[in-house]
Amino acid sequence: MKYFALVVPALFLGLFIYAAVKKVKIYDSFTEGIKGALPLIASLFPYLAAILILSELFERSGLSSLVTAWLSPLFRTVGIPPEIAKLVLMKPFSGSGSTALLSEILHAYGADCYIGRCACCAYGSSETVFYISAVYFAGVKKKRVITPVLISLAANFLGVVCACLFCRIM
Amino acid sequence: MNVIFAVVFTAAAAFFLIRDPNGFLPAMLSGGEKAALLGLNLLAVYCVWLGFFGVMEKSGLAQKISRLFFPVAKKIFHTDDKDAVYLAACNLSANMLGLPGAPTPLGIRATERFLAHGNSRAADLLFVLNATSLQLLPTTVIALRIAENSASPADIVLPTLLSTLISTCAGVLLLSAAHRLRRKK
Repeated sequence: MKYFALVVPALFLGLFIYAAVKKVKIYDSFTEGIKGALPLIASLFPYLAAILILSELFERSGLSSLVTAWLSPLFRTVGIPPEIAKLVLMKPFSGSGSTALLSEILHAYGADCYIGRCACCAYGSSETVFYISAVYFAGVKKKRVITPVLISLAANFLGVVCACLFCRIM
Repeated sequence: MNVIFAVVFTAAAAFFLIRDPNGFLPAMLSGGEKAALLGLNLLAVYCVWLGFFGVMEKSGLAQKISRLFFPVAKKIFHTDDKDAVYLAACNLSANMLGLPGAPTPLGIRATERFLAHGNSRAADLLFVLNATSLQLLPTTVIALRIAENSASPADIVLPTLLSTLISTCAGVLLLSAAHRLRRKK
């Protein structure tokens, strides 16, 4: 894993050397790129805020544990252990929330047992679908967005089911 | 989204009213606080990566990459837009490497370009590819496992890779089926 840390510095170094060879004004083009950052955040922020407020309400009102309790029999039939049901449900909404949850699970059950490994693979094989959709389709007609979001959620769920299966046999 | 928002919001508000009326506003405020923090964090990350991509564009490397991917991307995304192809290609490769924060600004700009040309199919495809992304190296998970003294922190890489491969294939197949259905109507 040590080598992975080299990727990012190597990327920057390679690019800057290449740019220097091409006689590009590096400082000017770097700042030119950053100019886009503030408008980008400004356009995303309303959607980000609404989603985060909603997921906080969902979490703290106890709705999320209710839904988790509801769905855990279904989860068990497809091979997802009930201990990680909450993580699976949380992931589409919040990356940071599910990261916190994953580290709690690893701490409680240990990283190398079935539950721990399963939680890791379930976390890795699903994405923050609602967050990505809020950001990518900001300002797009919402009706159009439903199909790709549902498809992604279904595909993610399949990924988690497979992850639990693979953890059992590998 | 409007329906989901309304339903979940009302349900949560009703729950709070019954169980814990005092917790309602603090919960919302903490959501807002998270949004503010996340916004700042994202801003920091975007500064770094957008600066990086700025240099990449000026140095001509961006154009080279898009020329490289153009023949493939033309088929996948049905587009002639070279800039959008470059953005999408960088977005997907940053995603697979799990570079934190790098894919999003690129993906947003690619999506905007696709939609501006009325190519909603390409925008949907890019979204599904992002939302089911192949994970070559799940760096966050490995870091967490190291922190919990795992004996073999990297032994989840293969099952994660395989299951994201399955989910990406499933997503793309479902999407193309959905588009075919829509065209029939």
